[in-house]
Amino acid sequence: MSAAEKKLIRIALAGNANVGKSVIFNYLTGLHQHIGNWPGKTVEKAEGTLHFRGHTIDILDLPGIYSLSAFSIEELISREYIAIEKPDLVINVVDASALERNLFFTLQLIELETPMIVALNQMDVAEGKGITIDVPKLQESLGVPVVPTVATKGVGLSKLLGKALKVARAKKPAKPLRYGREIEERIRKVTKLVENIPIKYPPRWVAIKLLEGDEEIRKIVGEIDPRIISSAEKYCRDLERIHGEPCPTIMTSERYDIANKIARGSQRITPPKGPTLTERLDMVATHPLMGYPILIGIIFLTLLAVFTVGGYLSRFFEDAMEPVRGAFGGGAGELIGEGLLGGLIAGIAIVLPFILPFYLILTLLEDSGYLPRAAFMMDSLMHKMGIHGKAFIPFILGYGCNVPACLGCRIMETERERTIAAFVVTLVPCAAVTVVVLGLVGAFVGIHWALALYLLNLVIIFILGRIAFKVLPGEPMGLIMEMPPYRKPHARTVLKETWMRVKDFAYIAFPLIIIGSVVLTGLKVGGLLEPIGNAMSPITVGWLGLPAIAGALLIFGVLRKELTLVMLATLMGTANFGAVLTPTQMIVFAIVVMYYIPCIATIAALVKELGWKKAAYITVFEIAFALLLGGIAFRLLTLA
Amino acid sequence: MITESIEEYLEAIFRLREQGEAATTTSVAKELKVAPASATQMLKKLAKQGYLKYTPYHGVTLTPKGEKIGKKILRKHRVMQKFLNTMGLPKSRVHKNACELEHHISDDLEQAIYQRVESERPLPPGIPRDVTPITSLLDGRKGIISHISGGRGASQRLADLGLTPGTEVMVVKSAIFHGPLMVRVRGTTLAIGRGLASKIFVRTR
Repeated sequence: MSAAEKKLIRIALAGNANVGKSVIFNYLTGLHQHIGNWPGKTVEKAEGTLHFRGHTIDILDLPGIYSLSAFSIEELISREYIAIEKPDLVINVVDASALERNLFFTLQLIELETPMIVALNQMDVAEGKGITIDVPKLQESLGVPVVPTVATKGVGLSKLLGKALKVARAKKPAKPLRYGREIEERIRKVTKLVENIPIKYPPRWVAIKLLEGDEEIRKIVGEIDPRIISSAEKYCRDLERIHGEPCPTIMTSERYDIANKIARGSQRITPPKGPTLTERLDMVATHPLMGYPILIGIIFLTLLAVFTVGGYLSRFFEDAMEPVRGAFGGGAGELIGEGLLGGLIAGIAIVLPFILPFYLILTLLEDSGYLPRAAFMMDSLMHKMGIHGKAFIPFILGYGCNVPACLGCRIMETERERTIAAFVVTLVPCAAVTVVVLGLVGAFVGIHWALALYLLNLVIIFILGRIAFKVLPGEPMGLIMEMPPYRKPHARTVLKETWMRVKDFAYIAFPLIIIGSVVLTGLKVGGLLEPIGNAMSPITVGWLGLPAIAGALLIFGVLRKELTLVMLATLMGTANFGAVLTPTQMIVFAIVVMYYIPCIATIAALVKELGWKKAAYITVFEIAFALLLGGIAFRLLTLA
Repeated sequence: MITESIEEYLEAIFRLREQGEAATTTSVAKELKVAPASATQMLKKLAKQGYLKYTPYHGVTLTPKGEKIGKKILRKHRVMQKFLNTMGLPKSRVHKNACELEHHISDDLEQAIYQRVESERPLPPGIPRDVTPITSLLDGRKGIISHISGGRGASQRLADLGLTPGTEVMVVKSAIFHGPLMVRVRGTTLAIGRGLASKIFVRTR
């Protein structure tokens, strides 16, 4: 082992959501960070590097979670990482203003028996709530070092690093705390049973998880020796008889009892007189009468900001790029100019300008604490379409652009909820679809028909959302989220997070957009559009009653939906669509464009959030659904 | 004539239902540790006597008459269990004794013991009369969680966020249009969807 390797230290940051974990992460790693996904998962993985006192320190920011049960992938990933990859140290970031709930998670981390320290963060917020904490006493009760910090101001962070280095080098694992006597006795018995089986988790932790009835651990242990499972079940029944509650509840309650005792023993609370700032703001922001106008105002401002800033940037880039694109001529030149550069320009000029302001505003809303309030107020309506309040923001943004909307579905807690939300969002007609619907149906058939299509769309979203809610496997999880106190967004963190997310998206979306663009241009240059249009005519002409040209248009629409209209004008040689299409054809065409496929950038976003398989399912379903709906509309309209 | 055996069955069915599980022949048999065949027979008999509705393969639901008895016996069991605990009986013996005593104590004795146990311990056992879903509390009112009914995932999630039995919660406000509840628990504020919240049962003073 070389000297450099010896000095490499791996640290994992763990803690609840909203405790300032990412502020600490950003402070420590600066720009030396990389955000990707966990291998094979759609969970974000943020890593960074820093140099400190001659050491290279790799820092991994684990997802913000409340427990280490097998409830969500984030929790599974975190516990697997800590127990199996064994970082040199875990820094548990704790919110000093909600000590008890945070310590509940600390106790679980300690049970994983890795070296650990606690960053007692948001000391200033705690002070504001009238909470003073006896740090030495807390440290003594937990048995791990505790460093008080105020991450947003950088207070205590170098001390934290110094302590981290010391504890990581000592390699002394944290020592688990004891439960009540009757539980401890059973833990000991089960620990004996699992001590000698080949499993990578600490035996005592496995024993506790077996008593909790943790499905993942039961499966792993059951494959090695099913007798252990039945013994553990027997002990569980003993405990249930003693306590009169289900075993998982007993274990959780016990742990909370310990957390409560430690918190009570080490903090003094003198509640401030009168309501806090958060309480006063909440009186207005979530007020039944005043809350909704405020919410509508914020949405309106967000859409306005995203589309004026986005629109301006978009035009600016497009104008700047135009001369470059025009410089290429001929077959091969067109392939490069139209395909390669066109794709790149589409990415830079159309996607990026909208994503950047969107991410900035979303991060701001998230960081300030307003997002949970919006979710709180909209939960009941969103429920009717099979998703819950948190999906409200992505849903509304879908009317602008589906891409940031899909990416915004990340805020959903479970995979199931995220899938339904992303699916619903892709059904929302984005600005490009609006161009087609208004430009075709609105202009040549009548505005009331265009509105009818939007109304139909809402009905369909409600119905399909409900169906997805019913058929997707897994336990439906209602809304449950923390309402963190309002706070002033921390500029550095907001900017950095925005930048990281944009960069991250560009990596995934740009290759797809460019490849798609090159392939389509290739088809056009190679004269293949017409044969393809003809090959598709049984569907486009036979089933949908559209002209044969529609096939090629729809293929181009995959790239950008408004292209269908632009190309229609080019290919028909006129922008007076009323002369070349019947009203029925226009309505059917608009319906198909509305639903038939998420555009390629949206597909990229779906892949990023849900993985290839689900993205493919959604895409295929929506194509089939659009054709079905279009065909039905054609028959109904010709009947009338 | 209500025999001890009838009471045991009604209690078991009530307990299953309270935990949010379906009461089927199999689950009832398992709960009472009897053969499925004898459970089937007994359930048919109880249905005939009007204590429950029984559909083969689809489980049973208690009639108001059956529910009244099941609930009462389960309450007596829990009151006795807590009483025996405070009497210092070894924990291994508590359950067995409570199982026997629940059939023999009169309603007023149970009441009296319940009052006594409650005055000694702030968190009384059983299904006291004043247990309601948290969704029925008015804004600003407090309650102490008695139990959470519902699926494993939901109750684990709620417990992880600090909503464990015996914990005090306050409803800060509930959103209009049948929306979620904002509650304060263990020094933090949570929003909980109405459906999920209706599974949290609290005891009010």
